[in-house]
Amino acid sequence: MMNLSDIELFAVAAVVAAVWMCGVTTITRLLWGLAMQTTMIAVIAALHGIEIQSFKYLIFAGVLLIIKAVATPVFLAWIANKIEVKRDKGTGLNPALTLFAGCGALALGYFIAPKIVQSQSGTAGGAGMAIALILIGMIFMLTKKLAISQVIGFLVLENGITLYALTQTHGMPLMVEMGIIFDVLVGVMLAGLVMFRLNRSFEHIDVTKFRRLRY
Amino acid sequence: MKLIILPLYIINLMIIPFLFMGIIRKAKALMQNRLGASVFQPFYDFAKLLKKGETVSETASCIFLLAPKIVLSAALIAGILIPWSGIPAPQFLQSAANFILIIYMLGVGKFFSMLAAMDAGSSFGGLGASREAYISILIEPILLIGISALALSSGSMNMSEIFAKGFSPFVGVLCGAAFLIAALAELSRLPVDDPTTHLELTMIHEAMILENSGRNLALMEYASAIRACIFLGLSAQTFLRVSPLYKNLPVLAEFIIGIAALFIIGIFVAVVEGFIVRLNWRRVPNFIAFAAVLSILAALVAVAKG
Repeated sequence: MMNLSDIELFAVAAVVAAVWMCGVTTITRLLWGLAMQTTMIAVIAALHGIEIQSFKYLIFAGVLLIIKAVATPVFLAWIANKIEVKRDKGTGLNPALTLFAGCGALALGYFIAPKIVQSQSGTAGGAGMAIALILIGMIFMLTKKLAISQVIGFLVLENGITLYALTQTHGMPLMVEMGIIFDVLVGVMLAGLVMFRLNRSFEHIDVTKFRRLRY
Repeated sequence: MKLIILPLYIINLMIIPFLFMGIIRKAKALMQNRLGASVFQPFYDFAKLLKKGETVSETASCIFLLAPKIVLSAALIAGILIPWSGIPAPQFLQSAANFILIIYMLGVGKFFSMLAAMDAGSSFGGLGASREAYISILIEPILLIGISALALSSGSMNMSEIFAKGFSPFVGVLCGAAFLIAALAELSRLPVDDPTTHLELTMIHEAMILENSGRNLALMEYASAIRACIFLGLSAQTFLRVSPLYKNLPVLAEFIIGIAALFIIGIFVAVVEGFIVRLNWRRVPNFIAFAAVLSILAALVAVAKG
């Protein structure tokens, strides 16, 4: 009988939010899901900081919360509003099947995690959830149609990596974590600018149609 | 013990379903700023319908006349076997309280209500029956997987024992949410079907009972009220049993808390129905997929922990 620790419970909540995101098509709901999920990861960072009594994790949690859970979704929502996209129906897999694929990713993560995680370092449950998040981010980037939801998929994937680092390596330097967060911020900003330009020159941001050149 | 429990069964199956429907309608009316009928209106409707004469379509065979009785019997048996209000199945029926039997007992009732709808020969009946069949194909695996997860977590296939022994909280929460969504689809309530529309091509349950009248209709309405109690009560019980406080209480206390939880869920459903609109029919499978994923997650957790 395995007992879920607090950290694992929040990791599961983050993955449940990600699975929920697989099934919805509205950009606004996708962004809500992203914000919820990132908040969960910030809570995990804070709990971890309290557990090992280290102040830097609390700072990290605060920065994570402000930049990735609030600023990024708000920025993306602003862009979506500006270029008038509301819905992403997806390509290849329909939302119901994407949900099941997300569920499969969760199962896969859960069952392969104990095999690749060393038993003494960290919790296998957290690692499984992190792998599930990475896989779900990849599913997003493969099956979504609009450039903006691919950015969201990338952020989910990045959340997965953060979660893996948090639950497995108990001593990533604060500078490295901050650097990653600001890199992601800059990346999202650039992606937003690119989306603006794309929308201006193609009048859509549907990646499945980008094979055809505009003349 | 037995003397207390017998009246409870009677209250459970003869009073609560009508009261439950009345409360849902009243709450919905209040949400829409209407005064609404009294909560006892379903009793009066039932009594009035019993007194009225029947009109039977010329093309209908004996199945149409027989179906309401079969549907009601199936609903009553399932209502006794499932502990939806907190009281377990009676001692002499314990061996029949296997969850697979119960799920397919509900299926028998649904099968006959679909047959009756098609038997009357109206096009509405066939349309409603085909949609009902479609929804039940989507719902059945959810119930089966969800209750299997509960059974795996508690280590018993007997419905009363599953709820008496308790299960892991995580499985309980996931299954409760899955059952709630499944119940909304199964009972043709709002995101899937609007129970108040009449004579529209989108309705499911109302289209099926369009040809029934008089006593026939009374029995069908009674059976559907019991089904509503069973499905929402199952969800309420699954949520309640997550809490360790709701365990090993006296039967009467469990019954009262269970009924209160059932009514709260009913009011919750009515309030939610005030805010949302009916889904496009083609989007219904997507909505039900959420319930399916919840029950599959519950099964995964149950397997991983077992």
